[in-house]
Amino acid sequence: MLNTRDLEQRWLRYKIKSYVPYFTILISIVVISAIIYAFFNSDKKETIYIPEQTNKTLTKAPITKEVVLNTPKAPIIKETPEVKSIDSKESPIIAPKAQEKKLSHAKDDSLKLVPSLGFMKNIQHTTLPYYKEEPKRKPEKVSKIVEETQEIEPQESIEKIVVIEKEEAQQISIKRRDASNDIRDIIKRFKKNNNPALSLFVAKKYYELGEYHKAYNYALITNQIDRDIDASWIIFAKSLVKLNQKDMAIKTLKQYLESSHSSSAKILLDEIVSGKFK
Amino acid sequence: MSSSIYLNSKNVFLDTVNSKDYIQLDRVSTIYQSLKDSIKKPLKMILLYGRPGTGKSMFLTKLYNDLSSTQEVHIYKTPILDESEFYKTLAQDIFSTKYNGELNFTQFMKIVDSVSLDSIPVVLLDEAQLYSDILMEKIRLLSDTRTIKFVITLHKTEKEDLIAKEHFQTRIWESIELENASPIELKIYIQKKLMKANCFDTANMFTNKSVNKIFKLTNGNYRDTNKLLYALFDIYTAYDENHQLSSIGTTNVPNKLIEMSAIHTGLINA
Repeated sequence: MLNTRDLEQRWLRYKIKSYVPYFTILISIVVISAIIYAFFNSDKKETIYIPEQTNKTLTKAPITKEVVLNTPKAPIIKETPEVKSIDSKESPIIAPKAQEKKLSHAKDDSLKLVPSLGFMKNIQHTTLPYYKEEPKRKPEKVSKIVEETQEIEPQESIEKIVVIEKEEAQQISIKRRDASNDIRDIIKRFKKNNNPALSLFVAKKYYELGEYHKAYNYALITNQIDRDIDASWIIFAKSLVKLNQKDMAIKTLKQYLESSHSSSAKILLDEIVSGKFK
Repeated sequence: MSSSIYLNSKNVFLDTVNSKDYIQLDRVSTIYQSLKDSIKKPLKMILLYGRPGTGKSMFLTKLYNDLSSTQEVHIYKTPILDESEFYKTLAQDIFSTKYNGELNFTQFMKIVDSVSLDSIPVVLLDEAQLYSDILMEKIRLLSDTRTIKFVITLHKTEKEDLIAKEHFQTRIWESIELENASPIELKIYIQKKLMKANCFDTANMFTNKSVNKIFKLTNGNYRDTNKLLYALFDIYTAYDENHQLSSIGTTNVPNKLIEMSAIHTGLINA
């Protein structure tokens, strides 16, 4: 007679064996999908930062319709339109209005997580002295020329300034030209990645070079991307002072100090009020 | 259901070649009829070929049983490999001439010429792939004389296809291929076979699902199906004797039992 028990055991073993490939496939699918999920998630984490920033500006934009008209041009960093936007005289006044309104939401925004840009700041600190020293070493001609051009035509297009600078720079110093090239490179980089640290650097650099319109513009751009960067407010206020918008600078700094307790902003405010900073 | 039903069902699937067990399926019946018609035609040779277990031997046996009452027909299920013995057997069976000593082809042809027959006898040769090439060539020559009609069966394998090509391609006027059953045919085959033996209860146990499972394992091969079902009813008998039938159910054939039968017969390597 047939041994059914033995046959059943053999059948059980066969069934287990037959299910092994299915289990293997299932497990591999699960593992692969987990890897893919993790991969895409990590990708998102990397890319999310920029969209968030752009979202910020987008969500802020409807608050002041006037700003929307001016500010979108600013991040494009076309040099001539930038100057024009500043030249219209409305932008320095209107933009701070936008800042005023933004400040009212500062408390909400302060809760948002923002990646550390410390390393970018470090880069700036390491590179800044190089640029700072340059104008001192070089004959005063360069700064004079810049000043002269501003005195004569303070609202002139930057193209002209750059041309004059180039002409003079060729005669005076090669290093000077390198600095402007560096700015252009950084502007290019900023266009690609919209990193506020880069725009802040450009603002600082333009401020140092005495191009306060540009400095103001880049400080504003930086502020729009990340309003918590202290230095952007400082450059913004300083540029306003240099552009003869002292009252607006004081007002802006006061509003900023309401939401933050920046000591540097306070010092700058005192200096502006007392007339130390001109 | 009593154990005798399973026992009877088991015996239905004993692998024997008996024309009484021949199951009429539509396609097979058509082929069989065409074979019978071919016998009537003045053909030199008829080749019946197919994979092992497709029912060639059964076909030949059935043909022999059907024709034997109306005309002279001889069947050789086991090949006669010795050439002289082959001629001597034919001489005795067809021409009633007993020959002592060695009989070669020339001597045999002399016998063929000397004896006149009323009708052309039909010789059925099973497993013709086992005959030597030389003997096959002689059989061809013999069929060319139109004194004997040969119906031969061949296994369809690569080697045997070659034989078919070399020896018979130009000479055979009729070649019939037998194929494995389709799932529907297999169901009819199983149920008809069981019902023929009055095993109606067990015949009803085969649903489409179970037949499909059997088809998957046997690929519709009749021999493999017979083996599998024999094992299946053997298992049923064993369960019945151990009073464990309730654990496996008797309304239909579970896949588990079919797989167990396949493991037992070696169709599944477990």
